[in-house]
Amino acid sequence: MVRPFAAKGKKRKKAEKYDRDEDGGESTGPAKKPLVDNEPDEEPPKEDFQELEGIPIVPEDPNSANNAGVIFVLERASLEVAKVGKNYQLLNSDDHSNFLRRNNRNPGDYRPDILHQALLAIFDSRIAKAGRLKVVYVKTEKGLLIEIKPYVRLPRTQKRFYGVMLQLLQKLSITAAGKREKLFRVIKNPVAQYLPANSHKMGFSHSSDKLVKMRNYLDGVKDDVDLVFVVGAMAHGKIETDYTDDLLAISEYPLSASCCIADICKDLAEKWNVG
Amino acid sequence: MAKLSVRSSSNNDKKSKKKKKSSGPKALTMKVSAPKANPFESIWSRRKFDVLGKKRKGEERRIGLARSLAIEKRKKTLLKEYQQSRKSTEFSDKRIGEWDEELGEFDKAILRSQRELKRKLNKSSKYNLSDGEEDDYFGTQNLGALPANDDFEDEIIPDDDDDAAAAETKKGAHRDAPYQQKGRLFEGEENKCKSKKEVMDEVIAKSKFFKAQKAKDKEENEQLVEELDKKFESLVQSEALLSLTGSGNSNALKVLVQKSISNEHLKKDTLPAAGKTENFNQEKPDAFDRLVKEMAMEIRARPSDRTKTPEEIAQDERERLELLEEERQKRMLAPDNSSDEEDDSENSSVGKQKYISGDDLGDSFTLDDERSHKKGWVDEILGRKDADGTESEDDDSAEASDSSQDDVDGDSDDESEEDDSTRGVKHSLKDWEQSDDDILDTNSEEDDEASKGEKEQDEDHPKEKVNHKSPKKAYKSTIAKSSKSDGISEDTKKLDRGTKRQSKPELPYIIDAPESFDQFLSLLADCSNSDIILIIGRIRASNAIQLTEKNLEKMQKFYGILLQYFAVSANKKPLNVELLNLLFKTLMEMSMEIPFYAATCARTRISHTHQQFCVQNKNPENSLWPSSKTLILLRLWSMIFPCSDYNHVVITPAILLMCEYLMRCPIVTGRDIAIGAFLCSLLLYVSRQSSKFCPEAINFLQTLLAAAVSRPSSSQNSQQICHLVDLQALGQLLRIQNPTNEVTPLNFFLIMDLTEDSSVFSSDNFRAGLLSTVTETLDGFVNIYGHLKSFPEIFLPISTILHELAKQENMPVELQDKFRKVAKAIEAKTEEHYIGREPLRMRKQKAVPIKLLNPKFEENFVRGRDYDPDRERAERRKMQKLLKRETKGAARELRKDNHFLAEVKARDKALQEEEKAEKYKKARAFLEAQEHAFKSGQLGNGRKRRK
Repeated sequence: MVRPFAAKGKKRKKAEKYDRDEDGGESTGPAKKPLVDNEPDEEPPKEDFQELEGIPIVPEDPNSANNAGVIFVLERASLEVAKVGKNYQLLNSDDHSNFLRRNNRNPGDYRPDILHQALLAIFDSRIAKAGRLKVVYVKTEKGLLIEIKPYVRLPRTQKRFYGVMLQLLQKLSITAAGKREKLFRVIKNPVAQYLPANSHKMGFSHSSDKLVKMRNYLDGVKDDVDLVFVVGAMAHGKIETDYTDDLLAISEYPLSASCCIADICKDLAEKWNVG
Repeated sequence: MAKLSVRSSSNNDKKSKKKKKSSGPKALTMKVSAPKANPFESIWSRRKFDVLGKKRKGEERRIGLARSLAIEKRKKTLLKEYQQSRKSTEFSDKRIGEWDEELGEFDKAILRSQRELKRKLNKSSKYNLSDGEEDDYFGTQNLGALPANDDFEDEIIPDDDDDAAAAETKKGAHRDAPYQQKGRLFEGEENKCKSKKEVMDEVIAKSKFFKAQKAKDKEENEQLVEELDKKFESLVQSEALLSLTGSGNSNALKVLVQKSISNEHLKKDTLPAAGKTENFNQEKPDAFDRLVKEMAMEIRARPSDRTKTPEEIAQDERERLELLEEERQKRMLAPDNSSDEEDDSENSSVGKQKYISGDDLGDSFTLDDERSHKKGWVDEILGRKDADGTESEDDDSAEASDSSQDDVDGDSDDESEEDDSTRGVKHSLKDWEQSDDDILDTNSEEDDEASKGEKEQDEDHPKEKVNHKSPKKAYKSTIAKSSKSDGISEDTKKLDRGTKRQSKPELPYIIDAPESFDQFLSLLADCSNSDIILIIGRIRASNAIQLTEKNLEKMQKFYGILLQYFAVSANKKPLNVELLNLLFKTLMEMSMEIPFYAATCARTRISHTHQQFCVQNKNPENSLWPSSKTLILLRLWSMIFPCSDYNHVVITPAILLMCEYLMRCPIVTGRDIAIGAFLCSLLLYVSRQSSKFCPEAINFLQTLLAAAVSRPSSSQNSQQICHLVDLQALGQLLRIQNPTNEVTPLNFFLIMDLTEDSSVFSSDNFRAGLLSTVTETLDGFVNIYGHLKSFPEIFLPISTILHELAKQENMPVELQDKFRKVAKAIEAKTEEHYIGREPLRMRKQKAVPIKLLNPKFEENFVRGRDYDPDRERAERRKMQKLLKRETKGAARELRKDNHFLAEVKARDKALQEEEKAEKYKKARAFLEAQEHAFKSGQLGNGRKRRK
C-alpha cells in the first residue's frame, strides 16, 4: 500500500552518501584539470626550442614548487527563490520590492547583485586566471551552501546570473555546457569540513579592531599554506563565523564586497608574482 | 463506525461541490456537520525552506482517510462485481433519480415530470391524441380544469409563458408549446417587414443628413475665407509684405485689401443673400489672381557671379596684358595729334562721366568708352607724377604685376618715353630672332633638356667656364661688378641698339617664352632685379599653362632656362642675394605648376653634381666642398619639394649628396667648416619634418666640437669620431685663442664671397660664430632625434664634449651658456630614455589563463519542464514517465484490490465457518438432548417441561 515513513527517510540518506562520495572524488578533480589543460599549451614551445638552441624555454617559476591556493567563502549571500505570480524568481530588491513589502520583508536585504559583483571580482582576478583559485563557497542567508568551481565562466550580466542562481536553487546543481561536470552545486553544511586542514582562514569585517595592510599581512603568512578568505556578501551587518582564525579590517572605511575582494586579489597576485 | 461517518461526510462534501446549484440548504447543513480531521489520520511532509509566495496546499496528506476512502470505493465496485460474479441474473433499478441517493422524493418527482414533458414535446408525438392517463398523472388538482382547456385555448394562454411557469402551473403546458413556436415565427416575419420600411426611412434620413452637412460645410468654408482675409489684411498692414514686393504692387495690395474690407462690410450686411456672396466670390479671385501672377513674375534673387576657374583667371590675365600691349602698340604708332584728339575726346568723355574712380579701369565696361576715359585718366596721373619722379614707381611695378594700379604706373612710364621704347623693343624683338639663329645648336640641346638633363648641364657648365667670362673674373678679382652689365651684356650690347640710347627700356607686356638661354639673357640684359622679375612674371602670364596645351612645353623649356639662370647667378661673386631671393619665389611657383618637370630637372642636376663630385674626389688636391651654386640649389630644392616624404625623387638623393659631402670632404680651411656647418643646418631643415637620421651630420658636428676642445681627451675618442680629419689641424682652425666676449652670428653669403685665405677665417670672432652655429644646429638635431631609441648612445658623447668646451678658459660666456644648455637638454632626454627602457626579457610570452567552462542554464527555468532541445525525445520521455507512473498506479490498485477481495473472501469464509460451526453445534445439541431424553426415558415430557 503506502510506503512506510521510515523507508523514505532511509532512501534519502543513501542518496546523500552517494553525493558525498562524488564530492570526495571531485574535490581532487579541479586540481588535476588545469594541469591537463596546460599540457597542450606547453608543447608548441618545444618546436621553438629546436630553432633556438641554448636559450632556456620557460623561465623557472620560483613559486612552482608550492602551489598554494586560495579559497573564498562568501557569507550571508542573499539568494532566495520565491513564487512571484506564477513563476519562481530570484528575489531582488529592484524587481520585487512590492512583493517583498506585501510579505513583510525588507527589500533592502535582498541583494543578489552584491554576490554577483563579488563573484565577478573573484573570477576576473589574476589569481583566478592563473589557476590559483581553488574553489569558492557561497553561504546564503537561509543557510544553503553552494560550491562553485574555479573554472566557471560566470555570466557577466545580472539577469543571466540570476537565471543561473534560480536554476541552481531549484535543481541544486548546474552542469557545464556540453559536459556532465557540475560547476555549481549545493552541498552540505558546514563549510569548515571542506576547507583544507592546514589553511589560514581570515574573516573580513569593518567592525574588526585589527586594521591591517593586506600586503604586509600576507607577507607574514607562510607561503605553503592555503589561504581562505571569508567575506560577507550582504548589504548590512557583519559575518559571524566560528571557523576563522582571524578577523581583519583592511580599510578604515566600510568597503563593498567586490572592492574588498579586488584588493585582496591584487595584493595576493603581487605576493605570488602572478601575471 | 467512526470510519463510516467520516466516509459519508466526505462523500457528501464532494457531492455538494458538484451540485452546488441543485440543493443549497442540504449541502449547507452537510458542510456544517463535517467533523474535525483526526490528527492521527493525517501525515505532513516536512518543508525545508519556506518558499515565499508558495501555497501550502496539498502538503498535508491524511493517510487513514485516504485508505478508508479507497476501501469504500471498492466496496461499491469491486465487491458488487464479486457478489454478482456467480449470479446469472441481475436486478437493476432504472427509475429516474433512483441512482442518486441524495435526491429527495420531491426532487425525484420533478425530474420525472420534466422527462415526461420533454417526451411530449417531441415532434413525433405532436399529433398524438392525449389519453386520459397522462392527464391523470399530473395530479388531482388539474382534473377540474381539463375540460375548460378545450374551449379557451386561444384567449387564455399568454405569449410569455415559459417552462418554469408551466412547471409551476402544470396546466396545458404541452398545448402552449406550439403556440409559442408559432409566435416566434411571427416575430421573425415582422422583422423582415420592418427592415423594408426602415430602409426607406433610412434613405430619407440620410439624404436629409447630407443636406445639412453640406450647408454646414459651406458655412465653415465661408468662415475660413473670412479668417484668411483678416490675416491677409493684417499682413499687408504689417508691411512685411511691402518689403518683399515692389512699391507698385503694394498699391495694388492696398486696393485689394480695401476692396476686400468693403466687401466684407457688404457681406456682413447681406449675409443671408446667397447670390450676392457668390458674386463676391467670383469677383475676389480676379484681383487676387492678378496679384499672385504679378508676384510670380517678380525676380526672386540674382545669381551671383561664378567663381572663376584657374584657367579663366589665366585667360583674363592674358587678355588684360594683350589689351595693354595693344594699347602700347597703338601709342607707339599713333602721331602726337592723335593723342591730342584723344585728349579732346577724353575731355568730352570726362565731362560726361566724372565720378568713376581709377579703380574701375580693369572692369568690363564697353571698350571704346573705357579706353578713351582711361587714357585721359592716365594722362592726368602722368601729369601729376612726373614731378615726383619715376624711380619709386618702378619699384612698385617690380613688386608685382597683379594690381592694375601698378600697371597703370607702368603705362605712365611707357608714355613718357614712347618713341624710344617702341624702336628699342622692335629691335630687341629682332635681336631675339637673330640670337635664335645664332645659337641654334644650343637651342636644340635645350629642347632635349627635359629628357636629357646632362646635356643641359654640359651646356650650362661651358657657359659658366668658357663662354661667360664673368665667373672667372669674379674668381680672380674681388672687385665687385654688376652682374648684368658685365658678362651677359657683352654679347647683347652689340645686338641691342635701342638700349644704347635709352637708360631704361620699356618692357613689353606680352613676351613669348624664350627658346634658349642666350635669348633669355638678351631679354634680361641691363635690367634691374625688379625688372627681371617683372619680365619673368609677364612671360609666365602670357604663356600660362592653363591657356593652351602648347604653353606647357614652352613653360617647361622656360623653367629649364630659368633654373639655369638661377644657377649661374648663384655662382657669381659677389652673390646677388636680392635677385636670388626674388627668383626663389618665381621658381617655387613655377615648380608648383610643372612639378614633374621640376623634379626631373632637379634630379638630373643632382646626379650630375654627384658624378662631378666623384670625379673630383679622385684628385685629393681639389677642394671638394660644393660651390655656392650647389648649396643654393640644394636649398632651393629643399624648399620646393616636400621634405617630409619618406622617399622622394629629389629630396632623397639630395640628402644623400649632402651626407656624402659631409663624409668625404676633408676639412682644410675655415671656409670648409662654414660650408659643412651650412650643410648640416640644411640637413637639419630637411630632416626636421621627416626626422630621418643623418649620422653624417651628427658626426660632423661632433668632430668640429671635439676639435674645438683644446686638450684632446684621448686618441681612442678621436679615432672613433672621424678617420678623415686630423683633429690637431682642425683644432687650429677652431680653437679660440684669445678671450672674446662677443659672438656674432655668421652671414653665410658673406663667407661664401670671401676667398679661402681671407683673414676673417683665422679670427676668433669667426670661430666663436661658427661654434655657436654648430651648437644651434646640434640643438636642432637633439630636438628632432629626441624620440630615437638610441638617442643616449648617439648624443651622450657629444654632451661630454660640450661640457669640456664649456670649461675652456677662453670661451665666451654666451657660448658657454649655449653649450651647457644643449648638454643639459641632451642629458634630460637621455634620462627620459633610460627611464623608458625596459630590461630585456626572455621569451616574452603571454600568460595563458585557465580554460573556463560555461554553465548550462535556461533563461526562464521552470521546474519539471524538460529542456531537451529534441522535442520528440522530450515528448517520448514524458510519455514513458507517465506510462511508468500509470503502471505503478495500476499495479498498486490491483494489489489493493486483491487485498480487498482476499479480505472479503476471508470474511465470507469465516462467516461460513461460523455458520457451519453453529449448525454443528445445533445439531449436536439436538442430538445430545435426544440422547439425554432417551437415556432418561422421559420422551416428550421433558421437552415440555423445559419450555
